[in-house]
Amino acid sequence: MNPTEIIEQFRIAVRDPFGTARTIREGQNRPVVGYTCTYFPEEIVLAAGAHPFRLFGKSTVMLKTDAHIQAYGCSLARAVFEDALSGELDFLDVMAFPHSCDTMQRLSDIWRLNIKNTVHLDLLFPVHLKSEAAQDYMEAVLERFRKGMEQVFQVDISKDAMQNAISLMNRIRASLTALYKLRAAHSASISGSDLSHVVQGAMILDRLEVADKLEALVSALKGTHTPTRTAPAKRVLLSGSVCLHPDIHTIIEEQGGAVAWDDLCTGSRYFDVQVPEDLPPIPAIAKRFLNRAICPAKHGGTTRRGGDLLKLISTHRIDGVIFLFLKFCDPHGFDYPDLKTALETAGIPTLFLEVETGKPVDGPTRTRVETFLQILNQREAAL
Amino acid sequence: MKKHKTSGKPAYYMESVPKMKKIMRNYYLKAKYARYLGKKVAWITSGGPVEPLIAMGIIPVYPENHGAMIGVSHTGVELCEVAEGMGYSGDLCSYARADIGASETGGGPIGGLPKPDMLICCNNICGTVLKWYEIQARKFQVPLFILDTPFVHTEFTKEAKTYVDRQVKDYIRFLETAMKKKFPYDKMNVVGKRSVEAMRLWQQVLNTATAKPAPFTAFDAFFHLALIVTLRGTKTVLRYYRFLLDELNQRVEKGIGMVENEQYRFLWDNLPIWHRMRWLSRAFAARNAALVADTYTSAWCGTVDNIDENDFLGSMGEAYTRIYLNIGVDQMAEKVLNMIDKYDVDGLVMHSNRSCKPYSFGQYDIQRIVQRERGLPVLILESDMVDARKFSEGQVETRIDAFMEMVGQK
Amino acid sequence: MITCGIDIGSVTAKGVIMDENNLLATTIQFTGYNAGTAGETVLQKLLGQAGLKREQIVALIATGYGRNSVDFADKTLSEIICHGAGAHFAIPTARTVIDIGGQDSKVILLSDAGQVLNFVMNDKCAAGTGRFLEVMARALETDLDGFGQLSLKGSTPAAISSTCTVFAESEVISLVAKGESRENIIAGIHRSIAARTVAMANRVGLIPDIVMTGGVSRNIGVIQALEKLLNLPVTVPENAQLTGAIGAALLAQRAPNVA
Repeated sequence: MNPTEIIEQFRIAVRDPFGTARTIREGQNRPVVGYTCTYFPEEIVLAAGAHPFRLFGKSTVMLKTDAHIQAYGCSLARAVFEDALSGELDFLDVMAFPHSCDTMQRLSDIWRLNIKNTVHLDLLFPVHLKSEAAQDYMEAVLERFRKGMEQVFQVDISKDAMQNAISLMNRIRASLTALYKLRAAHSASISGSDLSHVVQGAMILDRLEVADKLEALVSALKGTHTPTRTAPAKRVLLSGSVCLHPDIHTIIEEQGGAVAWDDLCTGSRYFDVQVPEDLPPIPAIAKRFLNRAICPAKHGGTTRRGGDLLKLISTHRIDGVIFLFLKFCDPHGFDYPDLKTALETAGIPTLFLEVETGKPVDGPTRTRVETFLQILNQREAAL
Repeated sequence: MKKHKTSGKPAYYMESVPKMKKIMRNYYLKAKYARYLGKKVAWITSGGPVEPLIAMGIIPVYPENHGAMIGVSHTGVELCEVAEGMGYSGDLCSYARADIGASETGGGPIGGLPKPDMLICCNNICGTVLKWYEIQARKFQVPLFILDTPFVHTEFTKEAKTYVDRQVKDYIRFLETAMKKKFPYDKMNVVGKRSVEAMRLWQQVLNTATAKPAPFTAFDAFFHLALIVTLRGTKTVLRYYRFLLDELNQRVEKGIGMVENEQYRFLWDNLPIWHRMRWLSRAFAARNAALVADTYTSAWCGTVDNIDENDFLGSMGEAYTRIYLNIGVDQMAEKVLNMIDKYDVDGLVMHSNRSCKPYSFGQYDIQRIVQRERGLPVLILESDMVDARKFSEGQVETRIDAFMEMVGQK
Repeated sequence: MITCGIDIGSVTAKGVIMDENNLLATTIQFTGYNAGTAGETVLQKLLGQAGLKREQIVALIATGYGRNSVDFADKTLSEIICHGAGAHFAIPTARTVIDIGGQDSKVILLSDAGQVLNFVMNDKCAAGTGRFLEVMARALETDLDGFGQLSLKGSTPAAISSTCTVFAESEVISLVAKGESRENIIAGIHRSIAARTVAMANRVGLIPDIVMTGGVSRNIGVIQALEKLLNLPVTVPENAQLTGAIGAALLAQRAPNVA
């Protein structure tokens, strides 16, 4: 298969996630476990013979959610719940809520009270990831979830099954990392919009299929020739929660720029850091969660995110950072001013964008992105 | 309706009020001049474990209480605007924005809080405090202790118990390191007992409003609350609440109500709208309605049964984890129903508070549960606890009128 | 070199033809519902006015919210870049440009050479300032020019705090119901717009000289309220409404081989 054909399969999954999940459920006779956040042990779900399925919120009009969550809830939480209330998610056997932010925490309650046809599980992960107590507690939460999966699906999860699932997810993480590196080196090898679809699709499609397809894609792209550009593209880093607006990539590319890396939970935060295969499975998964790129809803020290961001900027030779937030996202909103100051002190221009899922990129947002790229281009001209 | 008058003073006059103001003034003076008194200052979240600080002789300071004072003094908007100028979105918690603004400019009713020597953050009330305290830890370059209390959606798991208990030990070690001295366990026993007694007294204070007419309203409770939040564990608090309780019991005996013609009784949910306290209390009183109780002020005694007063440190992890805001919406609804029965109210007034997502999301479901289980009318007021820009007087007044019509029809 | 700049805003479409630093033709008209047609009409009017043929225009840049509908443009640039260039041309000492239009408000920070260093645009919940003023003028039975003049007579501006224009509208209605004077209400509206703008400006940092452009710059009340809050003079260039179009025409000169 050529790259375009492979990418198209990921695009189809993103366009029709629920259809994709139903096919897996009915075709492979595998139960589906929905989840909302990248701090989720997909490995345990896979080891239980089930299919982990990330929810991104498809609904664009909130007809039913408004009766449960106020308009100042983020569009992601509201859209995901609208999907559930309108029956779109009736294929879910289990709905799992890893603890993330205040909004998702309350969504879990509201979901449990209103959606009755799925098994409801909360993963009460620690928020403070740096304390000594957190490591043991993280393991205990994972162990409870493992037992929960065994109980719900009436299976025994063997150590082998866990280890296989870990290897499978490590393959996926390795390939996604390779794809990101390819793009960081030659931005023309795969468009930002394509790559964004690939990462999202990887959280929707059957994971074995994902692992195979990603490996095929990496080797196919490695063979392609990168057309040389007249001027090197401005290298942008996207930082935020979810990016469900591939148009942002297109606007950046129209202005001669490229997203060279990201710090998104629909991006590198999904695949950052492998699960060590030489440790017992549960401690190994816990270790990855404690070490991977952190989400602002968790605590890893007061300067961790700024430091990580500066590291990404120097590793990937970033010219400018676009903060892409969902409106009403508190954890990102609180981090932003200090991050911005840290970057600007380091001479990195930043742009602040607020978007909502299900709403297209509007005129003012387009203007902001175009202007930002035009400023980056001017900087080059002035040097 | 009977009208009561005593010794020429209006019905709303209470001896406790000036006493309380004096205590708070002294407390803030002491905190502001802590350095000259050779004391250390800790900033702590409103749901945080203050008792070990009291035992250690550290002065606790509450940015949230400060936020409330900013709201009451109508300086919220200008301070929020300072934070917004720094890049903080106007959608973020207004306590946090106002506090960040005040620590930048030294503005607000008391010229900003005294600088902290350490920060104590317990996320049992929200995830916001974690982010807010991270910001202040970077700004003031002081150590930050986090008590991470897992959310109790349906159960308090045994691993969560182990986790919080271990952190209580970490907390003590943190304080020993910060103060370079041994933790006084004897003193802690005394402070722990006083704290439990203060919570019980506070509960009794709130209970007086079961009387008809209610001797005081939620608007008064919001005011008298400050001590149980800030100084529980001290003798001052016990003395004050005993005094307050006496005064309230006397009012009950004499049949003095805070609202002169108490005809309707309501329960308030969520934080107060600090910048509109007087306006709102008058708006309800003018309609012969008393807000006799609220879910907010009772949060500081709701978990007292989880504390073993003979082993405060050993039981406080659980007690602090199971507070009102750290439990599932259905458990909250259960508590609301209990309060509806206990205070015999005619309706529920919910403040949908843009600043407080963990308090506000789920209100619509609680509303439905209340309507289903008790058939009571529910009024939802959209506003914000500090940010007056999120309040629309005309809109709120219309809603109150419509609500009163519904209540009157019953 | 003869160049053209066309700025399609949400309310009005503006255009200029320039020969180096000289304005040869200028026009302003309503945008209407078809931004593409508006661009075409603007160009024809400009050519007629200047007595030029299309081929004589070496480069044409379109800007403004409808810029991508101008399919005959050699290049499009965002209105922020163009307002920056236009403001620098009109007032070379300008370092901060406040642009308040029908839909969007922007604060643009310029280098002393007129390059855009940073910018900030209004939050979605505070959109539509220009429109809001129009609606309020109508509700208070005056026109936009009268609006500015009246507010200067307001002795104590009424308190209006909402950033959301829908909320602000209901605040104004309550004030009317309470019998607050029209002058004070209008002064209050202007002060709240100024406060919002200053809060936004603080996010990029503010450097004098401050220049104001966009449709709302015609309102003396807003300008005075801004000056009061900033404690700095705010200058409005002569062709304030044409700033974006002028900037576009100037930038077209710098990059003639734009296509």
